Amino acid sequence: MILEVPANTGLAVRLDRVSVAFPAPSGALDVLDALDLEVPAGSFTAIIGPNGSGKSTLLRVIAGLLRPASGSVSVGGTALQPGDGRVGLAFQQPRLVPWRSTLDNVALPLELSGASMGVRRDLAATALERVGLAAAADLRPGQLSGGMAQRAALARALVMDPRVLLLDEPFSALDALTRETFNAELQGLWLERRRTVVLVTHSVSEAVALADRVVVMSPRPGRVAGVVDVDLARPRTPDLLGDDRAAVLAAEVRRTLASGHKVELRGWAEGVATA
Amino acid sequence: MRRLATGIASLAAFLLIWKLVVLVGGYPGYILPAPEAVVERGIRAVQSGVLWEHLAATLSEVVLGFALGASLAVVAGTALGKSVLVERALSPYIVAAQAVPILALAPLLDIWFGGGLLARVAICALIVFFPIAIATMVGIRSTDPLLDEMLRSLGATAPQRTRLLEIPSALPVIFGGLRVGVTLAVIGAVVAEWAGARTGLGVLVLIANQGLFDTELMFVALATLAIIGLVFYGLVVLVERRLVSR
Repeated sequence: MILEVPANTGLAVRLDRVSVAFPAPSGALDVLDALDLEVPAGSFTAIIGPNGSGKSTLLRVIAGLLRPASGSVSVGGTALQPGDGRVGLAFQQPRLVPWRSTLDNVALPLELSGASMGVRRDLAATALERVGLAAAADLRPGQLSGGMAQRAALARALVMDPRVLLLDEPFSALDALTRETFNAELQGLWLERRRTVVLVTHSVSEAVALADRVVVMSPRPGRVAGVVDVDLARPRTPDLLGDDRAAVLAAEVRRTLASGHKVELRGWAEGVATA
Repeated sequence: MRRLATGIASLAAFLLIWKLVVLVGGYPGYILPAPEAVVERGIRAVQSGVLWEHLAATLSEVVLGFALGASLAVVAGTALGKSVLVERALSPYIVAAQAVPILALAPLLDIWFGGGLLARVAICALIVFFPIAIATMVGIRSTDPLLDEMLRSLGATAPQRTRLLEIPSALPVIFGGLRVGVTLAVIGAVVAEWAGARTGLGVLVLIANQGLFDTELMFVALATLAIIGLVFYGLVVLVERRLVSR
C-alpha cells in the first residue's frame, strides 16, 4: 500500500470556542468552557492537566464522539465524521473485543469501512508489525499482556493510516519501564510519517519528552492555561532529555499547571483568611 | 470415554433402583411396570410402527416450534434490550402471555390456528419465546459500554454494533435461555397435542392410559419424550460450545 509518504502529511486540528457541559444534579456541569485550540498539521501536541480539566472530553470532541454544546471543531478544515478514517483514537484501556483474534481486532476499522478480506489482513498485519506485535496476530486479547494489548490497540488506531492520531493516556496503566520503551517507539512512529499526534497525559516528563508543544489545561471548567513550546532536537535521546534545557521546560510546564490551579485556590484561601 | 462410563453407570443404577422398587413394593404392572417390561413393550411399539408415527409428529412440532419461537425471541429480545421504550410498551404483554398457563391458552390457539400442525407449532413457539427473549434482552444490556464507545469512534452504525458487539456479548446468556427453551418446547408439544391432535407422543400417553390401560406403553411414550428433551438439550450445548469460545 502507501509506503512512501512525504514529510508532514498530518492534518491541522482547530477548536473554536468549544463548550461542553454534562447534566448534573445541581444543574449543568461545565467541562469545557469556550476553549480555543490550534494543533498545527504534523505536530506532536501533548495535552496535560489535572483530573477534571476535560482532557479526555477534549479528545472525544475532536474524534467526533461528543458534539459540543457550542463552538466548532475542524480537522483539516472540515468537520469530522467518526469512521471517515482521518482520525485514529486509542483509549486509556485497550478495549479489544475479547472473542476476536488480535489480527481481527486490528482489522476492525477496515471491516467497518467495508474493505475486502485480503486488504484487511494485509493492512492489519502491517500495522501489527509497526508496533512489534506480528507474532501475536492469532492470539486472543485474553492471552496478551497489558503492554501487548495496548500495542494492539495502537495498531488498531494506526491501521487506517489516519492523518491525525489521538491518544488518551494509552500507556498510563503500564509500568514505568514499559512506558519509556513505548514512548521511544511512539516517537519513532511519529518521525516515520509526521502525522499529527495529540497525546493526553498526566506526566510532565512524558509531555516534554515527546511533544513539540505542551498544551496546559486548567481545572474545571477546562480552558487552556498556557502553551509551552518544546524546542528540543529530535530524535530525543535519554541524554538529551536529561540535560538542563529539558529540565527548564519541565519546570515551565509545572509553573503553568500551578498558575491554572491558583485561579481556583485564591478564592478558597481568601475565604479562609476572612473567616 | 470417562463421561460415557459415568453415564452408563448412572443409567444402570437408575434401572436397578427402579427394579428394586417394583420388587420390594410388589406393585402390579398397571401401576409401575418393571424396566424390562417397558423395554420389551418399546421394542414391540417400534416394530409395529406405532412409536415412529407418534415420534415423528412430536419431533416436527418441537423442531419447528423451537426454531420459530427462538428466532422471534432473539429478534424481540434484541429490540427489548436496545430500547427502553420498546421494553416499557411490550413487556407487560409478554409477561402476561407467559403468566397465563399454556394449558389454558392451548385450546384457544388451536382454534385460531386451525387445529393442524401450525397450531401446535404456534403453542410450542409461545412457550419457548419467553425465556429466550428475556435472556437476549439481559444479554444485550450487558454489553461493555467501553467497547461500544470504541465501535462508535470507528463510525460503526447501529446494525453493525448489534452484529459485531451486542449479539456476541449476549451469546452466553442467550444460550442459557435456549437451554431452558428447548426443554419447554417438548412440554409445549405435549400440551398442544392434548388440545387437539390425533398423533404425537402426548396423544400416545392418553391412548395408553385411558384407552388401552397399557401402562407399559405409557412409560415408553414418557421415556421417549425424556430422550427427545435430552437429545435437543445436548444439541444446544454442542452448538454453544462451538459458538461461545472464551
